[in-house]
Amino acid sequence: DQVLHIVPETFQQVQHLQLLCSTLLLDLWKPLLPEDIRAGEDLHIRVPAPLVQEVKDSLDQHMISYRVLIPDVQKLVDQSMPRERSSHRQVSGGYVYTEYHPMEEIYQWMTQIQKNNSDLVTQHFLGKTFENRTMYYLQISQPSNKPKKIIWMDCGIHAREWISPAFCQWFVKEILQNYKSDPKIRRFLQNLDLYVLPVLNIDGYIYSWEKDRLWRKNRSPYENGTCYGVDLNRNFNSSWGSVGISFNCSSDVFCGSGPESEPETRAVAQFIKSKKSDILCYLTIHSYGQLILTPYGSTTEPPSNNEELMQVAKDAAAALTGKYGTSYRVGSTALILYNNSGSSRDWVHTIGIPLSYTFELRDTGTHGFILPANQIQPTCEETM
Amino acid sequence: DIDGVGHKYYLELELEDVLDKGRTVSCTAEVLYHLGSKSTAPDVQATVQGELRSTEEADKEFYNRVRSLPKELVAENIPDSHGNVPPELEPIHLLAWAASGYVTWQNSTESTKFHLAQVKHVKQVKRSDEDLQFDYVLLLHEMVSQEVLPWEVTVLWHPQRGARVSRERRQPGHA
Repeated sequence: DQVLHIVPETFQQVQHLQLLCSTLLLDLWKPLLPEDIRAGEDLHIRVPAPLVQEVKDSLDQHMISYRVLIPDVQKLVDQSMPRERSSHRQVSGGYVYTEYHPMEEIYQWMTQIQKNNSDLVTQHFLGKTFENRTMYYLQISQPSNKPKKIIWMDCGIHAREWISPAFCQWFVKEILQNYKSDPKIRRFLQNLDLYVLPVLNIDGYIYSWEKDRLWRKNRSPYENGTCYGVDLNRNFNSSWGSVGISFNCSSDVFCGSGPESEPETRAVAQFIKSKKSDILCYLTIHSYGQLILTPYGSTTEPPSNNEELMQVAKDAAAALTGKYGTSYRVGSTALILYNNSGSSRDWVHTIGIPLSYTFELRDTGTHGFILPANQIQPTCEETM
Repeated sequence: DIDGVGHKYYLELELEDVLDKGRTVSCTAEVLYHLGSKSTAPDVQATVQGELRSTEEADKEFYNRVRSLPKELVAENIPDSHGNVPPELEPIHLLAWAASGYVTWQNSTESTKFHLAQVKHVKQVKRSDEDLQFDYVLLLHEMVSQEVLPWEVTVLWHPQRGARVSRERRQPGHA
């Protein structure tokens, strides 16, 4: 849209302009009504983009000179208004947690978080992705001379599940923001360290921003570069390649050329193996479905500590529902979702980590993977 | 289980109006999945108890708005990557949803679970009769395989006659 400045010289010009304004329903900024257009006086009209050429042609035809006052109304509007349209902005230290962020910004966020909370947070190298990007995790740890058990949480193993990395960022923010004021969090951190990997599948996440919003897998090439991507959550060494997978690279559940064939999988697996005896609980965050899933996906045979796993999950689901009424179902993947093998959660449990859960966040299919940003806050608050 | 025929399910559902949350209506349905045949849609009989909200005003307004557009409507990526739908495209989105329900029905088995992930593309096609025609490419997410399947769907709509899917097919070629 453009705003034109015209000073009509003759009565004929005034008449033509009045006709133009009323026929095309142009938006008069000055004066307000066509009948107040006068020769020798300033006239400002906003012309909608599709009509700009037509109007200018008409002015030229009638030898009415004009000047473009505002060449792009939208740009001006955007510049003068804050980016966030919803009234509930969650901004902490300048970062907007109620928006989805591209990977560049998440990298910057990690650096900032460590800088602003250097007493509690350290950023660590985990590994590299196929496209050679660095994977970092954040360690939130209260300094102490006693060894602490670990809770690990990873987000974004599947590229299109944007609410997942958004939750990891929110989680970190909540913990750090309320550490001083919330005795529960302080007690928590007295005895436990939190390790958070905000985006596991970095290459895939970037691809979902730039090329294909509904991409799921990583970006390693197969079949001579004619086919891309392994489903990282089928690539772990737990009954790998047995069920709920495909050996066909073009499938969204392609399990790779072998267990841990992918650098992202190896980076996570190696680290978890090295800290195995200290990890108490493993959480991996996905969407959608509103489920808390326990092992296993490859068999309905329950894990040895199934009772404990289920009890903890049920308590979590109840607490979650208590916030906004969102209902989550609890159970093993094989029983309530579908069969799958090679999942990170299953592998982690088989190497001896007792509590291992997959969270499938909002919603249940209405928006699916493309959850509107205005649901980031409630989703994160209830999950917290 | 019906020997030699298939599996029949009896359902009692509560339907919620997406545009008028809190307004619900009961529905009973019978669904019969045919044995063996993956290419026949399941039989569905459904009865709605109670009244559905009247949308006459909004229907008329939408119909007239589209009919008076200078050029055929074209749009893509509804919602956008961040989940936003411009208000004037909301009816197009809702129509896609309804159409995806039909496509889901026609292509479901007991081991599939479809959801509309996104409207990839929609193009209005001018017609000589009074129907509005929209040619959609819908992205359907299938939960078990995790695939996102592009589907070509032609929808006809008229304020009194309602929505009909006149053509639907999985988009040929590799996703």
